[in-house]
Amino acid sequence: MTHAVTEGSVMLPAAEAEQGAGVYNEKLGMWIFLLSEVMFFTALIGSYIILRFSNPAAWPAPGAVLNIPVTAVNTFLLICSSVTMVKAFANAQDGDQRMLRIWLVLTVLIGASFVGIQAFEYNQLIGHGFLPSSGLYGSTFYTMTGFHGFHVTMGVLCMIYVTAKAFRGRYTPDDYRGVEVIGLYWHFVDLVWIILFTIVYLI
Amino acid sequence: MATIAPPVEHAGHPLVDDRSFIRKYIFSTDHKIIGIQFLLMSLLFLLVGGALAMVMRWQLGYPGRPLPGGGVLPETMAPGGVVLPEFYNSLVTMHGTFMVFFAIMPLLVGVFGNYLIPLKIGAPDMAFPRLNMASFWTAVPAGILMVAGFFVEGGHASAGWTGYAPLSADPEYTGVSAGQQLWCLSLIILGLSSILGAVNYISTVINLRAPGMTWFRLPLSIWSLFITAILVLLAMPILSGALIMLLFDQTLGTHFFLPAEGGQPILWQHLFWFFGHPEVYILILPAMGMASDVIANGSRKPIFGYHSMVFAIMSIGFLGWIVWGHHMFQSGMNPTLATSFMISTMLIAVPSAIKVFNWLGTMWGGSIRLHVPMLHATAFVAMFVIGGLSGVFMASTPVDIYIHDTYFIVAHLHYVLFGGSLFAIFAAITFWYPKMFGRMMSERLGKIHFGLTFIFYNMVFFPMHQLGLHGHMRRIYDPSIYDFLKPLGGLNRFITISAFLLFATQILFMINFIGSWFRGRKASNNPWDDTGLEWTTPSPPPHGNWPVTPRVYHRPYEFSSPLVEEDFLPQDRELDTPPARAGSAPGH
Amino acid sequence: MAQAAHAKHPNYVGVFIGLAVLTGVELMVAFLPWSKTTIILLLILLAVWKALMVALYFMHLRFESNRLRILAVAPLPLAAIMVVAVLTEYVW
Repeated sequence: MTHAVTEGSVMLPAAEAEQGAGVYNEKLGMWIFLLSEVMFFTALIGSYIILRFSNPAAWPAPGAVLNIPVTAVNTFLLICSSVTMVKAFANAQDGDQRMLRIWLVLTVLIGASFVGIQAFEYNQLIGHGFLPSSGLYGSTFYTMTGFHGFHVTMGVLCMIYVTAKAFRGRYTPDDYRGVEVIGLYWHFVDLVWIILFTIVYLI
Repeated sequence: MATIAPPVEHAGHPLVDDRSFIRKYIFSTDHKIIGIQFLLMSLLFLLVGGALAMVMRWQLGYPGRPLPGGGVLPETMAPGGVVLPEFYNSLVTMHGTFMVFFAIMPLLVGVFGNYLIPLKIGAPDMAFPRLNMASFWTAVPAGILMVAGFFVEGGHASAGWTGYAPLSADPEYTGVSAGQQLWCLSLIILGLSSILGAVNYISTVINLRAPGMTWFRLPLSIWSLFITAILVLLAMPILSGALIMLLFDQTLGTHFFLPAEGGQPILWQHLFWFFGHPEVYILILPAMGMASDVIANGSRKPIFGYHSMVFAIMSIGFLGWIVWGHHMFQSGMNPTLATSFMISTMLIAVPSAIKVFNWLGTMWGGSIRLHVPMLHATAFVAMFVIGGLSGVFMASTPVDIYIHDTYFIVAHLHYVLFGGSLFAIFAAITFWYPKMFGRMMSERLGKIHFGLTFIFYNMVFFPMHQLGLHGHMRRIYDPSIYDFLKPLGGLNRFITISAFLLFATQILFMINFIGSWFRGRKASNNPWDDTGLEWTTPSPPPHGNWPVTPRVYHRPYEFSSPLVEEDFLPQDRELDTPPARAGSAPGH
Repeated sequence: MAQAAHAKHPNYVGVFIGLAVLTGVELMVAFLPWSKTTIILLLILLAVWKALMVALYFMHLRFESNRLRILAVAPLPLAAIMVVAVLTEYVW
């Protein structure tokens, strides 16, 4: 769905260049960066799959060790934050500065809550003696969710920066690149969690 | 965040540059400066890697004898100047690590990716100049960490540049703890630097080509750097993931690769080589691309089969993902899987061979100018052929079972990495030096350096084929303790002495490089009469490269074109009369 | 002059509801008394469906050019090759 920006806007491909990807540089750059992130999580998740196939007995039944209800809520929260993010994006396109700011702040808050709940979960698990050194299960669990959490944290920090810029009125319907680009990153992080939640907690 | 929009065509104005010294040369966002920063850093590490190899060669040529001047080394490394076995293992590891990650890779990708891409596509800079700066300044701490490993207790990493687990995962096996962790950490950080760089290169080539610079008008150096950047983008994260898992095994008690609790050592090998094989194509593709540029220039002829060269680069880039198991034939892997890797590995020889024939086809009937870059580029082709041929032997699983982990492999890898990549790097440095520094290098000194390097290089590495076939293992500390290797002592000494001479010869290059910077003849815009866009700017180009965006009208490598009197037709030169003759060059 | 009224936005709330529902279904499926293989296949299917919805609607891939879509899926075959190849060490 293309929303027409003004002719000459920085969000249109540069006029003085050969035809490229058809999107502005920063968007192309973020998509390309996300491809590398796909490969990074492939290494972690792929290793998990391989290790589990090689030694299925090392995995307890779902829910036996991990707290599924809490994590289910967390999953729902992250999905919510994706919605608030995309609503922020829609309002940036429409030029509604007030709603843009509200949705962005909500995204930051929900994102931070996700990290907080995850930290709480880790605390509980460690307290019960479930550590990274707890066999293959512990090794893969902490590494996969830990690096996902790290990516969410980085996302929250960048989101705060974008929110601050939004409060200074730096995003207009002719230039909302920052919002779109952080949005792509944020949705990606949500997407990875959708996969992780399923394979780490439910399978 | 400002998009770098090229200046509008009608507003021709001189480029104003009022940046401070620090913004201009230290924390610069200019791709040319960043390229030179990578150059200086990488050449330093090339020297370090070479020095480490000299100590290794001493031990192999004169096992157990005190290294001359070795008294300066600490007791933990070489008491009385005699290299310890543990230190020898670090030398092996760090020679490979520094050469692959901190010398060759940044020389090809960090230096020439940065320097050439915007200039040869007609862009004022990279798509993300600040990200570019971040990329370099991320590589620096990675380098510092890697050097720091020599100074920690337990010594530096010593599990080989391939870091196989469980040797690398448990300090109990090597006695090395902090050193191995620093190795992992440093490479993780370097990986981030490389990935950020790759994002920049890919975005720039896709989106910032000047009007008229269509995909099939890109010089092969740019095509190869583009495909290489894609390989970096997708392969480095796999290594990062694997290194993180290894680091966790070392520090957090995880069990990814440690067998005791179900970990899988072979998983490390698969992950490492899934990265590692694209990595070696990262180390050769830009070399091939730049060699093409130089060979066309030195032959005064267009590249023979330009389109097939492009498709060969793409094929190598693609096939490179499905051959990694050929590094693992001796690992105990699934034999059927091994066979599939044998087939794919033999297939990949085809596009490489196509490229070799096309280079020969380019030179055939050309009006050859044997300038220093051309000498290096020609040597590149010949040496790469040798390295490639030994590769065909290794591709065959039954043969590799015999020669795996012998000096035959060492010969192969040095023929492709030194004979291939490094000669191409010398060609590239000598070719683009005038553009970078505004000075010509000494042709005479360059020719002497080339000749001696070529001779000594072959004296060092060709005999290694023989060593390997005789059964001489890799990475061993003292060959003389094996009866069947005792007869090879003389050959080992011959190689060692040749290696010292090879290393010493590089002083000539250093003198040439540094001396020319201050006292070289001033370079014109286009000292090599080349057709690329970079030669339409001053040497060195100003910040922003062109006051007005160039417009491209021709294919690359239009040498000896019938359309013009000179023997070269720059890509941006507009011709008054369109080529209307029937039978004129098709495909523009 | 900026366009104030855009072509309609995609139905983000609808997608959200779909994601929430699918998550609920996943939670149910995980604890049904079916064979492990069936459960795993169903869960993977559900997860992929959710991921696709995020990618297509929130990341706007449904409305982007083919070029960008191909770019976006490019690493997936590689990822699959790696995992499948290494699995043959254990499954074959």
